[in-house]
Amino acid sequence: MSTPTPANGMDRRSFLRTSAVLTTGLAALAASLKPLMEMNDFPTAERFMQKYYKEMTPADMDKVLKRITNEVEKQYGLRPHVRDYKPMDGVQYVYCLNLTRCIGCRKCVHACVAENNQSRNPEIQYIRVLKMEDGSLDIEKAEHDYDPEQVPEKGFFYMPVQCQQCKNPPCVKVCPVHATWQETDGITVVDYDWCIGCRYCEAACPYWARRFNWTKPEIPKERLNPEMSYLGNRPRRQGVMEKCHFCIQRTRQGKYPACLEVCPAGARKFGNILDPNSEVSYILNHKRVFIQLKEEMGTSPRFFYYFDV
Amino acid sequence: MFSQPKMNSSARTRLVLLALAAVFAGLTILFVFGSSGRPRLQNIPLVDTNFLNTATVRRSYADLVRDKEDLSDFDCYACHEKGKAPPLRFDTNQNIIVAKEHPDIVMGHGSHGRNNNCFNCHNETNLLALQSRDGRPLTFSDSPQLCGSCHGPTYRDWEAGAHGRTSGYWERSLGSINRKQCVNCHNPHSPHFPGRKPAPGPHLLHPPEVATATEPESHH
Repeated sequence: MSTPTPANGMDRRSFLRTSAVLTTGLAALAASLKPLMEMNDFPTAERFMQKYYKEMTPADMDKVLKRITNEVEKQYGLRPHVRDYKPMDGVQYVYCLNLTRCIGCRKCVHACVAENNQSRNPEIQYIRVLKMEDGSLDIEKAEHDYDPEQVPEKGFFYMPVQCQQCKNPPCVKVCPVHATWQETDGITVVDYDWCIGCRYCEAACPYWARRFNWTKPEIPKERLNPEMSYLGNRPRRQGVMEKCHFCIQRTRQGKYPACLEVCPAGARKFGNILDPNSEVSYILNHKRVFIQLKEEMGTSPRFFYYFDV
Repeated sequence: MFSQPKMNSSARTRLVLLALAAVFAGLTILFVFGSSGRPRLQNIPLVDTNFLNTATVRRSYADLVRDKEDLSDFDCYACHEKGKAPPLRFDTNQNIIVAKEHPDIVMGHGSHGRNNNCFNCHNETNLLALQSRDGRPLTFSDSPQLCGSCHGPTYRDWEAGAHGRTSGYWERSLGSINRKQCVNCHNPHSPHFPGRKPAPGPHLLHPPEVATATEPESHH
């Protein structure tokens, strides 16, 4: 009744037909994997087997820093100086920002990008300057993409917001892999090699302070800052979180953060709150310190806003 | 009874397989020659390095002296007579008339125009020095004391490091702190802090320029 079937159960025609479908199917599959060919950031065995930051011995860390140095040199053609700076004893960092003095010029935003090797394209910025009407503090109505000929504008004030280095950080609580934690000097850090990129921390942060590398970060060689630290400004990979870390590579060497150094108005103050003679101790004792931002969240920021008068 | 549908199903199978092969071939072409499906991002220009400059708003006379720079513009006694106080002239509103030889000086110190006498701060017998309100001579590098004689609370904050610019080391045992003076930011003749063009803001996901630039590939 039907066409005679050969001994192997398939005639020539149906074999050709099936194999045509199979071949084109395989070709399509192979072609769809083309983006993999463009990938050049496969983890090396070394990076893949790397231990958790807190479990590394100094010898392990040395190896890791060497690996990072070589990777950066290979990628950017510039040999960096990578170190792992540890917190100092008897130091708790506090940042104070004078809202009376800030003129909203955004120099801090870009000094931060330059210091901390953020991606330039797309550009990742840790600091967001909010422009608000005098006499109000409605963050919902704040504007962050203002671009007038001249700042400050009459009738407005400016409030830079960055990681508040909370004493009770919600971002740390939600991290499923403990890739972010608070150090003893109060800085909340991210281990970029341990982060899985789930972005829970970004969702948990009430200050919109965490940034995600959606694409491979791009930094021109001439803009790369070669003074790097493991938990700080070493170049990140695609798919990891990052945020302000009070310029850990500067502050743990005793220097001021980059945003403070560049502020033309002197609105930014930084120091050790445990030192009674520090600028920040003076400010918290003597000035009108007005808020910890979103105080009601119970995050207890180490970032304070204050006024003159 | 059974053969008719079987023949049909064989034809249908052939058709389906042919269609599948065509779809796969199409996909192959799309994957190989088409765009990778990633959104085309607009290139962001690198920020002007002037915005990264940590220099103060202005350089004071004391800075120029310290850095041993050309001071020919500050040779007071090329024109003024030594030991003799230069005369002051006022208009009918008691505003001081600044001599045309000093075009860079705009008098705007104090909101009521009351601080309109050069010798409130300058030493009238020695123009290379200042003098305090009680008549003590002060060098230009000691000017904060002079400012502080009127602006007490600000001077107190400045001494504590809460007002004004600092740079260098927060940890004094590791390095020195560089404390900037009043006149590094404020022009003493017109002290209001100058405004400026702000640096570029955050890059928007959909900047307005993209909407107008019609690129067929950006519509994926």
